[in-house]
Amino acid sequence: MASGSTIICLDDVSFSYAGGADEGERALDHVSLSVCEGEFVGVIGPSGAGKSTLAALMSGAIPHHYRGSLFGTTLVDGVDTCNATLTDISRVVGSVAQDIDSQMVASVVEDELLFGLENFGVDHALIEGRVSAALEACGIASLRDREIATLSGGQKQKVAIAAILAMRPRVLVLDEPTAALDPASSTLVFETLRRLNREEGITIVVIEQKVALLSEFSDRILVMGDGRLELDGTPREVFSHGDELRRLGVDSPRVARVSNSLVQHGILPPTPPCLSVDEAAGLVAELVRGRTGRGANIAPFRAGSPHAPSPRPRAVDAEPCVSFRDVCFTYPGSGARVTDLTFDVYPGELVGIVGQNGAGKTTLTKLLNGLLRPSSGRIVVAGLDMADTPTSTIAAHVATLFQNPDRQICKDTVLDEIAFGLELTGVATDVARHRARAVAERFGLPPDEAPFSLSRGQRQMVALASVVVMEPEVVLLDEPTSGLDYRECMTVMETVREMADRGCAVIMVCHDMEVVSDFAERLLVMADGRILGQGETPEVFANVELMDRARVEPPQIIALSTMLARDVSREFAGVSQVSGIVDLVKELVSHD
Amino acid sequence: MINVIDYVPGQSLLHRLNPVAKLALAAAIIAATFLADTYVMLLGLLALTFALAAYAGVAGRLVPLLKLLVPLAVVMLALQLVFVRTGTPVWGFVTTDGLVTGSKVCLRLLGVALPLVLVLMVTKLTDLANACVEVLHVPYRYAFTFTTALRFVPVFSQEMNAIMEAQTARGVQYDTKNPFRKLQLMLPLCVPLLVSSVGRTDATALAAEQRGFYLRTRESSYKRYPLAARDGLALACCVALIALGVAF
Repeated sequence: MASGSTIICLDDVSFSYAGGADEGERALDHVSLSVCEGEFVGVIGPSGAGKSTLAALMSGAIPHHYRGSLFGTTLVDGVDTCNATLTDISRVVGSVAQDIDSQMVASVVEDELLFGLENFGVDHALIEGRVSAALEACGIASLRDREIATLSGGQKQKVAIAAILAMRPRVLVLDEPTAALDPASSTLVFETLRRLNREEGITIVVIEQKVALLSEFSDRILVMGDGRLELDGTPREVFSHGDELRRLGVDSPRVARVSNSLVQHGILPPTPPCLSVDEAAGLVAELVRGRTGRGANIAPFRAGSPHAPSPRPRAVDAEPCVSFRDVCFTYPGSGARVTDLTFDVYPGELVGIVGQNGAGKTTLTKLLNGLLRPSSGRIVVAGLDMADTPTSTIAAHVATLFQNPDRQICKDTVLDEIAFGLELTGVATDVARHRARAVAERFGLPPDEAPFSLSRGQRQMVALASVVVMEPEVVLLDEPTSGLDYRECMTVMETVREMADRGCAVIMVCHDMEVVSDFAERLLVMADGRILGQGETPEVFANVELMDRARVEPPQIIALSTMLARDVSREFAGVSQVSGIVDLVKELVSHD
Repeated sequence: MINVIDYVPGQSLLHRLNPVAKLALAAAIIAATFLADTYVMLLGLLALTFALAAYAGVAGRLVPLLKLLVPLAVVMLALQLVFVRTGTPVWGFVTTDGLVTGSKVCLRLLGVALPLVLVLMVTKLTDLANACVEVLHVPYRYAFTFTTALRFVPVFSQEMNAIMEAQTARGVQYDTKNPFRKLQLMLPLCVPLLVSSVGRTDATALAAEQRGFYLRTRESSYKRYPLAARDGLALACCVALIALGVAF
């Protein structure tokens, strides 16, 4: 596949942004790399590692749009980007922005595609063909006359790609194209990219946080850390450096962690890591059968695998602190609705809500924090009946961590920001500030800085701190990990787990199934405004039929343990952690 | 959320008119509204706007807009009643002259706002910009600025809603009934809104440039916007409307 000539070449490039709080700090630090025509390159790294800067450099936005000091040379199709205009560079490199709403110039899909073609003076006789080909290639020919405002996030993302594609660039650079999408739509976007790469020969450079997707789709992965290129190789090469990645703050696909861990324990001779569930299942099956030398009857059936995590104890007859009974809500106008929501959440529980975009998850959270009122049914939260409690009163009991911290932050200093929620609920100013200072210290946040001068990840920490300081009975998390790197994500989730340990009920809506399976004890599965099922996390994820109906993809480890439980040994059933699988394999292999 | 100035697709004559002719028609109605001085003419022009909206199938969309405009008109009426002191007193400080000027100001306000909104409802923004560039020789960057500004209105109002929701969930009392208190609570929110919109416009500028914005000329547009016979007819109507406005 990767056999073409070099199309983008960076030679010892360094860049630092002008202005801003961290002036002089290098966003890119002596980076050299080249991308060949026809490659599918994934870029990964913790936030602040220079991924977006790298993309801006490849697309010519540096040096032509962003100010700063640039050293070294960047060649795009053999031309130094400093000597070409941004317009000329973009004839070769098409770039899809992180925020697609600001990329759009038109209100109708067709006009969006025409814009670039018209500007670049494409012969009018060829335009029709180009537009329909680009729509075809992205699988959205049926959306041609639709208003962009009425499309779903995944559809919009494909329109953004098609609009760039119509200009026939030789390279596509995409900055986190799936950040706002559910797993199913993310996979569809990547499948589109793969088709463009294979069939049209377009070189793809994509920045992405979802490791499982990257490892499945890309030929080559670049790992960035602190402005430097840390690792560069095929997915198998890169993910065999599991420890190094972890040090950088980059996750590895869970199946790769299984095989790496097996190698570390000496159960497996050094082999490249597995990248898919099938591969890992094959590997484990062979290992277990090979070592015992017997057929499928090796595993004695034991009821209740010892490797499934036991849910944390909770008071059995405790009062639920959130209780929904037959709750319905219909949005006026659009007709979108949720129906018959019935569930309880107990103090100290961590409950995940999973489902596709548009399944009603956000509506459920808004019913819970009082932003919406049910049209029928009864909601009781922390002993308050939601029908007659004002939202501002509920806020003292239910704290919400929103997906985008920038919508929450409105004060001039971090300390004021954290204390704000407390003051609103009537806590005296000096007490509120005292508590806020303690929490800011715990999170290592600078109390007197302006929140907007902090990085995205730190702003999320400020938002989290202002949730923690409230000491609420219920915490609601709406996509708590989106836009965060692995390390920040773990900090957020560990904090939330501590809150649960202290008796707070936590309800989280999250697309990242790995996070859900690591942290949530119980799941609600939603689709089309209804709750399809609820139960213990491993059980729910292992329920293939339920997962299919909700169009939710189970996390890799659960998929692996389900497959192994079917093909190798019943004992794998319900194992949801990498360590669980590894321990069990160890036990089975050394059994006789 | 339904936006007031969203394009409503359709096949009516009004939809098919050249965008420039539609603009001219709206301008003529507005000019006539300013020139006219009788109730019959003012009401007639309003009725014409609504008739056109009904014909294009968007009359229902004008109603939410009226909900915004009517209170504004009432405020205008009250102000006129206070400030116009000539004529015979009717009741308290209200005079006959005050009533007459006040009511005409109300009608003019509606008569000026509605035709423009109607044009935006039956015309795609892209078509409007392209036609202005082609027919009126407006430089593209101005047309683009104008359409982008309009396009950002719903984007920003969604952003504002999201910010308000986040703040409400923290306990800010936006559910207060006191409008002044509400305004006072909303002002601090301008900071997050401003921060996000500056970043957004910058991203838009970059994205447009990367798609050859600076190469665009008057001939670039794939769709052509020639003036047809029906557009000539519409322009004739414009002249007639203004003449009527002067006469009455």
